[in-house]
Formats: sequence, C-alpha cells, structure tokens
Amino acid sequence: MPDGLFIFFAALTLGAALLLVLSRNAVTSAMGMILALVGVAADFFLLDAYFLGVLQVLVYAGAVMVLFLFIIMLLDTEDPTGAYPWKTAALGLATFFLLAAGVLWLFHWSGAVSAVKAGATPPELSTNPAEFTTAAKSFGRLLYTKYLLPLEIAGFLLLVALVGVVSLSKDNPESNA
Amino acid sequence: MPSDLSSLVHWILFLPLGAAALSALFLRRAGALAAWFSTAVAFVIAGLALRLLTSATGDVTWHVELAKFGGVSLGFGYLIDANARLMLFVVSFVAAWIHLFSVGYMKEDPARGRFFAGLSIFMFSILGIVVADNLLMTFVYWELVGFSSYMLIAHYFDKDFAAAASKKAFITNRVGDLGFILGIAMCLSLYGTVDFAALKDHAAAAKTIPVAVGALLMCGFLGKSAQFPLHVWLTDAMAGPTPVSALIHAATMVAAGVYFMARVSFLLAPEVLHFIAISGAGMAALAGLCALAQTDIKKSLAYSTLAHLGIMGCALGLGHPELALMHMAMHAFFKATLFLGAGSVIHGCHHEQDMLKMGGLLKKMPLTAATFIAATLSNCAVPFLAGWYSKDAIIEAAYHGDHLAIFAFLALAALATCLYSGRMIRLVFLGEANSEEASHAHESPWTMTLPLVVLGLVYSVAGGFLAHAIIPAGSLKPIEHALGEVSFHLTAPSTIVGLLSLALGFCGALKFYGTVRGADALQVVSPRTYHLLEHRWMDGLYRWYVDSVQRRVSEFIAFLDLLLINGVAVRWIGGGVPAVLGYLSGRSFHRGQTRAYAFWIVLGSLFLAWFLIAR
Amino acid sequence: MENTSLAHHLILAGLLFVLGLTGVLVRRNLLVVYMCLELMLAAATLALVAFSRFNRTMDGAVLVFFVITVAAAEVAVGLALIVALFRKRGTVQSDALTTLRD
Repeated sequence: MPDGLFIFFAALTLGAALLLVLSRNAVTSAMGMILALVGVAADFFLLDAYFLGVLQVLVYAGAVMVLFLFIIMLLDTEDPTGAYPWKTAALGLATFFLLAAGVLWLFHWSGAVSAVKAGATPPELSTNPAEFTTAAKSFGRLLYTKYLLPLEIAGFLLLVALVGVVSLSKDNPESNA
Repeated sequence: MPSDLSSLVHWILFLPLGAAALSALFLRRAGALAAWFSTAVAFVIAGLALRLLTSATGDVTWHVELAKFGGVSLGFGYLIDANARLMLFVVSFVAAWIHLFSVGYMKEDPARGRFFAGLSIFMFSILGIVVADNLLMTFVYWELVGFSSYMLIAHYFDKDFAAAASKKAFITNRVGDLGFILGIAMCLSLYGTVDFAALKDHAAAAKTIPVAVGALLMCGFLGKSAQFPLHVWLTDAMAGPTPVSALIHAATMVAAGVYFMARVSFLLAPEVLHFIAISGAGMAALAGLCALAQTDIKKSLAYSTLAHLGIMGCALGLGHPELALMHMAMHAFFKATLFLGAGSVIHGCHHEQDMLKMGGLLKKMPLTAATFIAATLSNCAVPFLAGWYSKDAIIEAAYHGDHLAIFAFLALAALATCLYSGRMIRLVFLGEANSEEASHAHESPWTMTLPLVVLGLVYSVAGGFLAHAIIPAGSLKPIEHALGEVSFHLTAPSTIVGLLSLALGFCGALKFYGTVRGADALQVVSPRTYHLLEHRWMDGLYRWYVDSVQRRVSEFIAFLDLLLINGVAVRWIGGGVPAVLGYLSGRSFHRGQTRAYAFWIVLGSLFLAWFLIAR
Repeated sequence: MENTSLAHHLILAGLLFVLGLTGVLVRRNLLVVYMCLELMLAAATLALVAFSRFNRTMDGAVLVFFVITVAAAEVAVGLALIVALFRKRGTVQSDALTTLRD
C-alpha cells in the first residue's frame, strides 16, 4: 500500500481534474484546474523536487490561472443551452475509463515498468551535484552549463511570444470592422 | 614564418570589407566622403601588399578550421607563395589607382556611396581568392566576385542594357561555376581534402591525375576568365562605369581565373592543358580580329582583353603558369591604363564612346593621349616595354611547344593586336575631330590624370626594370626562371614575328584608317568582312540553344509535370484517397469540427503508441 | 514517502493525462479545452519528475523547467488568439467554428 500522503494528493488531483472536465461553469473549471495543479505540485514535493513544486504553484496556479480567470470573465462565456449534457458527459467518462484501463495496463500489468529495476521506493538522495538533489543550486548549475543554449532559446521564445501577443491583441481597424 | 606577416594579410583582406560595410551602412548619402574613404583604404592596402612583397621570402601560411565533417576538414586560411605576393601587389596597386580615378570620373554620379562600397567589396572578394589556401574558400570568394561584379556592372541599373549585361555576366559565370563546384566535390571524393598543399602532395604521389578533375575545375576558369565558349559576357560588361571595366578587365575578375589555374596547375591533366592552349590561342587570334569591327572604344578594348586572356590561357596550357601570371601582371598595368585612358577620353568628350566621332584628341588631351599611346605600344609588345617581356616569352614558348598551330594562332594574334591598336590611335587621337563633342574636348582633372600617368608611364614603360629594382630576387623567382628558359635574340622566331607584325600591323593600320573620315575604313572597303567580324556568332548559338533546345526540353518536362505530378499524383491520389475514405466513414473526416479533428489525432497517436509498444 | 514506486507516480500521471485528453475531446468551450491541454502538460511534467527522481539524474527536472517556460509562453499566445477569435466571431464554442468545412 503506498504512502498515505501520496494517496491523498493523488485523489485530490484526480478529483479536481474531474471537476475541471465535468463542470459546465468555466469559472468552476478554472478552480478545479488550480486545485489539480496544486495537487501536482504536492506530488513534486513528495518526489523531493521542492524547487519545481514551488515553481509550479507560482507560475501555474499563480500567474497562468489568473490569466485564465481574467479571460473567462472578460469573454463572459455562458453555456447557451439549459440542461446539463448528460449524454456527452457519459460518453466522455466512458472514453476516460477506456483510456485509463490502457494506462493501468501499460504501467501496472504489462510489466513495462519493472518494480525491481526502479525500486519500490525512491533511491537515497545524494549530495553529488551531478545527480538528483533537492537543492535549487543544481538547477542553476545545469541551466548555465549543459542547458545553456536551450535556456537562451527559451528566453528568446518568451520574447517572441511577448511580441506575438502584442501584435495579436492590437486593435486592427481593418479586420475588426 | 613570423606571425606579423599573417596579421598583415588579415589587414589586407579585411580592410576592404570594413570599408565596404562602413560605406554601405553609413555613407550612402555622403558620396564624396565615401569616395575618399574607399580610396584611402585602397592605398593603405596597396602599401601593405607592397610591404608583403618586399618582405622576406618564403610562404606565409595561416589556417583555422571552421568545421569538420568526418575526415573532411573545411577551413579558412592563407597560403601566400611567390605568385600570391605578386598577385596581391598587382591587384591592390592597380585597384588603388582605379579608385583614385573613380573619384574624378564618378564625381557627378548620385549613387557614389553605393559605387565605392561595391568597389571595396570587389577588392575584398578578389583578395580573398588570392590568399585562399583551399578550394572551398576560393569558391566562396569566387562567388563573391561574381556577385560584386554583378552589382558594379549594373551600376546604371535603370538602363536596360546595363541590367541585361549584368545578368548575362552573372548567368554565364554560373554556368562555369557549376563545373567548378563539381570539380571541388570530385577532389573531395578522390583525395578527401580541398587544401592546396595537401592536394599538391596527393597529385605528386599519384602517377596520373584524372582528366575530369582538371576539366571540371577548368570550367570555373572558363567562366571567370571569359575563355571560349563562355567569353560572351565580357564585352557586354562594358555597360558598367569605365573604372569598373578597368577593374574587371585589368586587375581582378578575369585575372582571378588565370591565377587560380596557376595555383592548381598540378591538378591539370595533359589533355586539359592541351584544350586550354588550343582554345586560348584560337580565341586570341579571333578576338583580336573582332576588335577591328567595334566602333565603341570600350568594346574594342574588351575584345583586346579577350585576346590577351587567350594568350594567358595559351601560356597556361603550354605548361608555363609563371609566364601566364607574368603576362597577367603586365597586362593588368597597361590594360588598366588603356581603360582609364578610355574613361578619360569619354569623360573629356562628354560621354561619347564612338571612336568614329572622335579624332584629333592628341592636342586637346595631351596627358591622356601620351599615356594611352604608351600603353598601346606596350599592348603591341614594342621591345623593352612591359608587354614585350611577357608576350614574346609566351610566343617563344609556343614555338618550342609541340604544335605549330598554336604558334601560328599567336602570331596572328600579335598581328591583330597591332592592327586594332593602330586603328584606335588613328581614330581617337590623330586626324581631325569628327563631332561637336570631340572638338570641345577638355583634359580631365588631376584625380583622373595622375593614375594614368603613374600606371601608364611608370609601369607600362619601365615595368620590367622597376620590378627588378624593388622586388627581392626570391619573390620573382618563378618569373625569372621562366624568362631564363626562353632565350632572347634578334633572330628568335618570336622577335621576328613581333617586329614584323609591329611594322606591318601598326603602321599599316595608321595609314589604312587615315583614308576614310567619319566611317570605318574596313567597312567601306569590305562590308562583308566587317560584318563577319562584328556579328556575335556565339550569342546567336546560345540563343538558338536556349530557344530551340532548352525551351523544348523544359516545355516537355513541364508537360510531364502537369500530367504526372499534378494530374495523376495530386488529383487522383491526393484527391481520390480522402474521397474514398470519406465515403466509407460517412464523411466524418471533414466536418469542420475541431473536436472531430482532435479525435482523429488521438486515434492516430494511440495507433502509433500501440505500434511502438507492440514492437 | 515510504512505499511509492515509480509505477504509482506514472499511473497518476497517466490518469491525469487521459483525463485531460478526454476533456479536450468532449468539451466545447475553447477555454476549457485549453485548460485541459495545460492539464496534459502538467501530467507529462509529473512523469518527467518521477523518472528523474528514480533514475537519480537532474536532466528530467531541468526539462520540466523548460516545459513550464514554454507552457507559459503558449498560454499567453493561445489566450490572445482566443480573445482575437472572440472579437471576430463573438463566440468561443468550438461547434460554432466550422468554417474549415467549406
């Protein structure tokens, strides 16, 4: 039986994600999304990736979801029809269970992920900076040595996205007539 | 070698690039500033090249590897041997004076900034060819020369003939370059290197060199040096400003091919050499005669250049690359003088280029006339002038060679040279003015006459002596060796041929062309001969080829494309498969619903995942 | 954190991914579809971190860093696109956007 905390957060994450998918109200969906992302961040903590967990909360739950909420409220997307679309929801759940069975088979029964090889518990944490450590320092070391070029490209990508968003959201009088 | 010499080469090579960039970026509006700046840089380069020439002998090598693909290393480097020193100096020196000349000639041109930036980039490209130590770097600069010449010839791009001429030059050169790059690829596949030094070792180790290597590399030479059958662009290139003509014909572009051939002469099989010799000699004779049927002073000079290029090619083919280089150097000096002189005449006559409308300019433009005539005499190989040293040596070498035909062609070329030179002098400088413009001609400003005087008098006349005085013996060893091989004496065939053609041709032309005024004497006496020489047979041949052969083939291919690719592949397969699938799946593929598309994507990736896992 | 093996984390990540996928397939509101896409990305990062932890290497974790960066950029551009779409068509329901059919 796995760790209690893991079960709790896994259930939280999946439940929140279910809320996201099933809710008709976009704001409720966004709330579910935030909760699911916090659950993922908690799982990061359980995996000793503290820095990434913090990052996840800050960037996703903090920045990205606020942006989503803004847009949802700005666009005012009320679902037009009255009754809850039970048929679609049931179809979606059926699809989900089908795919979930595939996932369980792949990771549990197929034997593709060997429990012996990976170990029943995470391996001991090391302080060797070349291996997995909890310190944020080791991110910095890798980012500025081995992954320097991807880092630069990512920075450039952000710049490009910035410019793109500005030009997209500029009021174009011709196309907006 | 001491490292300061290679840093000297850095300066020589990259100064013009910097000057070009600066002019192109900042000085496009400030024409006068750009002109003087470019000229100053050109003179600095000439000084540096002189220093390199007079410095200690021995090869300067410098190399940096840029990329490595398996066993093939591609790099950027210098290989400065005796030939390269000489070439560097000739190119930079002549180009410097042409820059100065351009300052005066282009004074009223509104696009001076662009023009001088073009001159600088041209310098950069040609110097790159000279110093390059491997085939690939040579090829890169080779293309740069093609590009910059395109830009310069098309300086008056709003005129149709200039735009057409630049296109013609560019495309003709591309034809040759195709062979060149195939030759490089062949060198890579055969020897695994493009480095000149390594190639030389390979060539020395191998008993025989494949004919194809030399033949393919020669294609580049044929294009760039305007050898038969790719010579057609050179005469049209006269559409550019006169200093550009001087630069292209005298110092740089055409010389690049000769220099390159001398550099890879160890890769040329005997058959290739033979072809170069025959075609060169033939072209020398033919182009010399064609020069007789041109009334445009620049076109006439262009044919003269073709003739001299033929002579150089002939020397290459006879196995005397040093002689070819020497003739190239001498030719650079006197042909630059001739073109600049022609530019001065055109400038003086208010942009009149027709020789038949000139005349009597000797009194009106004394300095220009004196230098032009001196250079012409050098062109005709009057003994002890610059042209005589190299040209007679080549004719002598041809006499000692295996084929009498080559010698005969060269002798005919010598006669033709004297004929058209005499005609030019007679029409332009002697007699009476034949037009309003010519009668109001005036001497050019000092920026134009000074280069003429320096290049013309000092180097055309005294080139041979001066060279010995300032250049250490080692630097000119190849040339001295070549000169020592062919003996000079009065009864030598070359001397006899030279003096005979001089007496007959030059004096005859002076007399013959004095008989008719305002028209070409040959055209009056024998119109058919004149037409035979004037008509551009090769252009006609190319036109026929493009119209009748190439167009037919391409139309056929276009038809196939329409039928097979567009009709069968795109319409039937591209249109048929989705139609059938859509019919089978109840047209659920193309409903325009985003979710349907997403569904198919998911299905596809699931299938892919299954495929990958099951495998 | 005693008894969780790699498979546990992978199953969680896989279920999250599949849930997001289902959302993309069945939801009509483009904004929700977009959130589901983000959920799929988060699931992928979870798998990456788990692999990274169990293989004692930092590379997977660093990759997560990049995924977060790219996702942030993607959200910005995507939302801008949705806003532009809304301005032009007045709706964000994917069923109404069937111009591609014609």
